[in-house]
Amino acid sequence: MTQTSSLPIPSTPQPFTPQPIRYVAEDGTPVQDLPAAYTPERLRELHALMLRAREFDRKLITLLRQGRTTFYAQSSGMEATQVGLARSIRVGHDWVWPYYRDHTLGLAMGVPMFELISQCLGSNSDPSRGRQMPHHFAARKQHFVSISSSIASQVPPAAGNAMAQKYLGTDEITVCTFGDGATSEGDWHAGMNMAGAAHAPCLFVCENNQWAISTNLAGQTASETIHIKAKAYGMPGFYVDGNDIVAVMEVCAHAAQWVREGNGPALVECLTYRVGSHSNADADAEKNYRTREEVQEWLDRDPIVRVEKLLEHLGHPIDAEERARLISETHREVDEQVIRAEATGQPDWRIMFEDVYADLPGHLRIQAAELRAEQEGSAK
Amino acid sequence: MTATQDRKEAAQAGAGTRTINLIQAVTEALHEELQRDERVVLFGQDVGARGGVFMATAGLQATFGKERVFDTPLSEASIVGAAVGMAVRGLRPVAEIQFADYMGPGFDQIISQAAKIRYRSGGQFTAPLVIRTPSGGGVKGGHHHSQSPESYYAHTPGLKVVMPSTPYDAKGLLKAAIRGDDPVIFFEPKRLYRAAKGEVPDHDYTVRLGEAAIRREGTDLSLIGYGGVMPDLERAADALAAEGVGVEVIDLRSLVPWDRETVVQSVQKTGRAVLVSEAPRTANFMGEVAYVIQNEAFDSLLAPVTQVAGFDTPYPYVQDKIYLPGPNRITAACVQALNH
Repeated sequence: MTQTSSLPIPSTPQPFTPQPIRYVAEDGTPVQDLPAAYTPERLRELHALMLRAREFDRKLITLLRQGRTTFYAQSSGMEATQVGLARSIRVGHDWVWPYYRDHTLGLAMGVPMFELISQCLGSNSDPSRGRQMPHHFAARKQHFVSISSSIASQVPPAAGNAMAQKYLGTDEITVCTFGDGATSEGDWHAGMNMAGAAHAPCLFVCENNQWAISTNLAGQTASETIHIKAKAYGMPGFYVDGNDIVAVMEVCAHAAQWVREGNGPALVECLTYRVGSHSNADADAEKNYRTREEVQEWLDRDPIVRVEKLLEHLGHPIDAEERARLISETHREVDEQVIRAEATGQPDWRIMFEDVYADLPGHLRIQAAELRAEQEGSAK
Repeated sequence: MTATQDRKEAAQAGAGTRTINLIQAVTEALHEELQRDERVVLFGQDVGARGGVFMATAGLQATFGKERVFDTPLSEASIVGAAVGMAVRGLRPVAEIQFADYMGPGFDQIISQAAKIRYRSGGQFTAPLVIRTPSGGGVKGGHHHSQSPESYYAHTPGLKVVMPSTPYDAKGLLKAAIRGDDPVIFFEPKRLYRAAKGEVPDHDYTVRLGEAAIRREGTDLSLIGYGGVMPDLERAADALAAEGVGVEVIDLRSLVPWDRETVVQSVQKTGRAVLVSEAPRTANFMGEVAYVIQNEAFDSLLAPVTQVAGFDTPYPYVQDKIYLPGPNRITAACVQALNH
């Protein structure tokens, strides 16, 4: 379902705002009129999606601790940004070039949990066939293009994807996501500039979680915000409270509409926070490079709790039983999908040589034969 | 395939032939592919109205319009990266990088995105694209306009790497590269752009990537090269022929994939191999060719496999011609192999 923006589409680029756009305060009180589309039922659905993503994180961390997968990058704390974005575009129609912390975006776009888990396990059911380290998803049906570890390397291709859409005359747009750290890379500037110059229908979304592993935003850029950089590339820049799902949906839908209407690219900066570590590789984030107080400050701004408070404010609270049911359902689903994915086994060594090229060239045939001899020898 | 075979093929197809130079062959290939397939788009810095630094795209924007042949910002990362995105979305992009020496800023896009996306997505997404770029020395260009970086790209699984030396091959290989389903790095030896002249058929044809061409047959020594050095191989072979030595000259044409079979069979026949490339010697692609020869034709070898290459220095400006493995150095290596 595509979100329809209630904001007016400006005929000239949106003015840059010093403070992030917000609809709901941290205590759940609307700070401006909520568009009529945000009924309690819809807010409940968004809440359920965010909670499901949060619990997916929890379960996958458990899986990691059990040694059943080897890498995982949490998105806890960023659910409003990713779910809000997913609900602002046309899934399976628009194209998304995601970054490596976007599994919540994928889940909200309808990538089956089974596929995500299969990829994390490198099982036979992994659509990427066990080629990537865990957490690097690709899902053709949803137009969720493959995640790369090389920071910002998805930005120029996203510009090209959008240029192709323009050439083909489709009404699709391309969405390109990245963290704040990516904005320091040359590829980010190259891609932004290219999309701007080509007037390509590309929506750039910065999931500014304020930490690129151990480098904070102040260490990343002397710029006051990321969104003001859009001006240099000739596109509107929007600044939104990334923990306010209503604001994210409204602004992303607005920007997507701007892009879809042929006005060129746009940049949305969602100010949010990664409450967990960068990955399992830096489990001691609080000890090493940031304070518990800082993390606590952002835990208090939890995007899921904010929707709960909003629903309470609207007179439609989510009771504890319902919340517990959602959590246990997700846990059960993850457990079931893990068992199902593990049962498919691991990909055979033979597929290592496939998909390097469209057809298997001679030198890979020779190398595959060498490995076959080795494998068959070791099996004796 | 020999040049004679090329002509025979043209005659069999009932078509005539024309003599053109290598850059005209590139232009013709692009023109015909733009005409054949609307998914083909051509872009890069200055490729539009100007027609590219070497005029390879001259006139194409006027014929096919700015939507299909267009200039981009001065950014190799953008040019290559955008090609990846266009290819993933279903186009057949042909990107031009002005000089192979400038591919550095686009390197990550080539090796992290173009080369990997099919593999890492399990074949869900693919990037059939061509990056064309002039490479090699001999034009007094200094080290930012003369390098031969093909080994970097040949080292990256997922990429195909091509370097023609004749107009026939340039046209046929480029058309095959555009029609293929893999990312191809297409190096064009700039010093042969106008120096290499040859016949091309009037009819549509392609040259399959991965097949070497036997330029002349011989029984005493296999002289193997690709790209800009090929005329020098021919000159060396002429000099040796005058001394009664039969040299078999092989043009690899493609480095990835490369034609092991033709090379190994030739060395099994001649017993001697001299490998020529103008790229720096260390980790030169010809090291791989030497390995395969010694592995698969060891019993036939009458002399050590010899390599003639550029030096392990940045490409010099003043010593431009000295740096290149010219006919004298090639002939000397052949004589050494023959006298072993």
